[in-house]
Amino acid sequence: MISRQPLFPKQRRREPPVPARVETGRSRLLITGALFSAAFLVVTGRLIGVTMFVEKSQPQYSRTVGKAALKTGRANIVDRNGNLLATSLKTASLFANPRVMLDAREAVNKLAAVLPDLNSRLTYEKLTQDRSFIWLRRHLTPRQKYEVNKLGIPGLDFRDEERRVYPSAALASHILGHTDIDNRGLAGVERHFNQKLRESRTPLKLSIDIRVQHAMRKELAAAVREFRGIGAAGIVMDIRNGEVISIVSLPDFDPNRPSNIQPDTRFNRATLGVYEMGSTFKIFTTAMALDTGRISMRDGYDATHPIRIARFVIRDYHAKRRWLSVPEIFMYSSNIGSAKMALDVGIAGQRAFLQKVGILHPSPVEISEVGAPLIPPRWRKINAITISYGHGLSISPMQLVAGVGSMINGGIYHAPTFLKKPSGSKSIGRRVISAKTSDQIKRLFRLVVTKGTGSKAAADGYLVGGKTGTSEKVVGRHYKKKALISSFIGAFPMNAPRYVVFAMIDEPSGTKKTFSYATGGWVAAPVVGKVIARIGPLLGVRAIDEKAPEIVREMAIDIVTKKEGKRRLASF
Amino acid sequence: MIKRATLIWMFLATAAGIGLFVLKYKVKSMEGQLAAIHGKTLENLEAVHVLKAEWSYLNQPARLEDLGRRLLNLEPVKATQTIDIEDIPFRPVGASNGAARNSSLTNVRPPAADQVPPLFAKIRRKQ
Repeated sequence: MISRQPLFPKQRRREPPVPARVETGRSRLLITGALFSAAFLVVTGRLIGVTMFVEKSQPQYSRTVGKAALKTGRANIVDRNGNLLATSLKTASLFANPRVMLDAREAVNKLAAVLPDLNSRLTYEKLTQDRSFIWLRRHLTPRQKYEVNKLGIPGLDFRDEERRVYPSAALASHILGHTDIDNRGLAGVERHFNQKLRESRTPLKLSIDIRVQHAMRKELAAAVREFRGIGAAGIVMDIRNGEVISIVSLPDFDPNRPSNIQPDTRFNRATLGVYEMGSTFKIFTTAMALDTGRISMRDGYDATHPIRIARFVIRDYHAKRRWLSVPEIFMYSSNIGSAKMALDVGIAGQRAFLQKVGILHPSPVEISEVGAPLIPPRWRKINAITISYGHGLSISPMQLVAGVGSMINGGIYHAPTFLKKPSGSKSIGRRVISAKTSDQIKRLFRLVVTKGTGSKAAADGYLVGGKTGTSEKVVGRHYKKKALISSFIGAFPMNAPRYVVFAMIDEPSGTKKTFSYATGGWVAAPVVGKVIARIGPLLGVRAIDEKAPEIVREMAIDIVTKKEGKRRLASF
Repeated sequence: MIKRATLIWMFLATAAGIGLFVLKYKVKSMEGQLAAIHGKTLENLEAVHVLKAEWSYLNQPARLEDLGRRLLNLEPVKATQTIDIEDIPFRPVGASNGAARNSSLTNVRPPAADQVPPLFAKIRRKQ
């Protein structure tokens, strides 16, 4: 009989009872296994995470070779149109290791052939010292480097260095300044922006225009030669935003050779020098008096007699000895009239006004050579009188230019700057006089050039206006006779003033051509006229017909010649 | 005896190793090339830098003015030599024969004396 039995019958052997110890071992194994698989799971998960997903905290192991960029130790300086003013060039400096040099005598002879101005004896002494490093010559030209290499003298080697180069040489020396042999800024913007130039790669863009700078420097130099002056200063400023387009101080220096700079050429007459500016201050006095509303253009003052105060006598240079209206006081540059005008406003009012237009504080321009104005310690009546026509208060030309700019641009003061403002940005500034007063000052400016002391500043087509200034230099506690500061501050085009142009000659002497006059009208006004004629087309100022009826009407001024008397309309 | 699977795995591992080796050397040589190109670029940048300095040295306004005067007989522009774009006259209509038909620039003639605007006329009279 076939019994239905399974093919492979499960053996149902009776197993011996498992000892408790083995049981414990098994469960331990199980737990360990579970732990290990958990650990492996974590590792696997992490592996996937690391390889497939990028985490922020992860350090970047892959090297990406960046763009090749030229690294210089100092950023470039460029002018407003991007012309290079200062850059750092790589140069090779020659050094020697006397310990490995075979024949010092021969080496010196060979070197002398390549570097003719090398001091042979000194070099020989250097090369026979027991040292391993000696500079022989720093900053070689590439040609010199090649020739020295060609000599094949053992023990000579080069080290790459950088040298600050100013391609335009002395053209903008005072504003750029210069650096020392280790490329640290020592003057000008090089010093003021030293840190920024070292850290940044982007070029520093100045507000200077080298073409205008050249025109100004050339005309000033010609005037200094003609009138045998000891120096000069010139500034062109955009009065809509305070950008300084040109700033020149003569004599100047070549910043490429910092060791050869004569001490007297370092002096920046435009920002560091403070001078009694003379009659150009009458611009402030007149604007102040008109703006307070105390007087109008039809009022005037009696200028028949000189003013006697304390031990001083205030006289007029171009004396008319009669009653003068405000335009006449400005046109003939009457000290008496200006003094009376200032007294009408009062001492406190005068001080507050000059404070407002930046006369009582050092100019905020971005170089370290900025002079602080010399202000009388106590502002008395006599000070108010002399300051009204620009004596007894010394300021830098830069302060004057910025202040005058605010008088004719509609009455807004913009702090002067040497940096180009981003295009499209609007300079806000602050209002110092009303637009109406500013318009009157504009007309007065034009009047001085058409009928007054500044006729030599005229530049056909550019509607120049301005004011002359002449003062005697203060030496110690006294005025030095025959040592003048002759200046002219002009602006153009007067129907919509855009640029202020200032020129100042230090200690000019009159010539036969000027009938030995050396005043601002004879010496500085022609400079301003010539500069404007040259820079007008460069700056894109539209030439206009000065005789066109609408221009004449815009510049017309009502001149009263007699007190309460008949008026005549001056058509200029 | 080695199992088939093991063989396959060994083969894959070797292939991966060789692949990685080849790839690494390829990358290394390309990095070398890149460095060489960078070196060259830097060299050129330096040359450009020097040339720019030289360019602005040669373009000093004083030098250009001198060259312009001596070689080109040029003078600084005067105000009377400039004119507003609006004042440049259009070609007179109907006055010329053929000028209206032929638009080539070589055929443009200066306007007649009675057709110049006032400012331009003033300048002309001066000369």
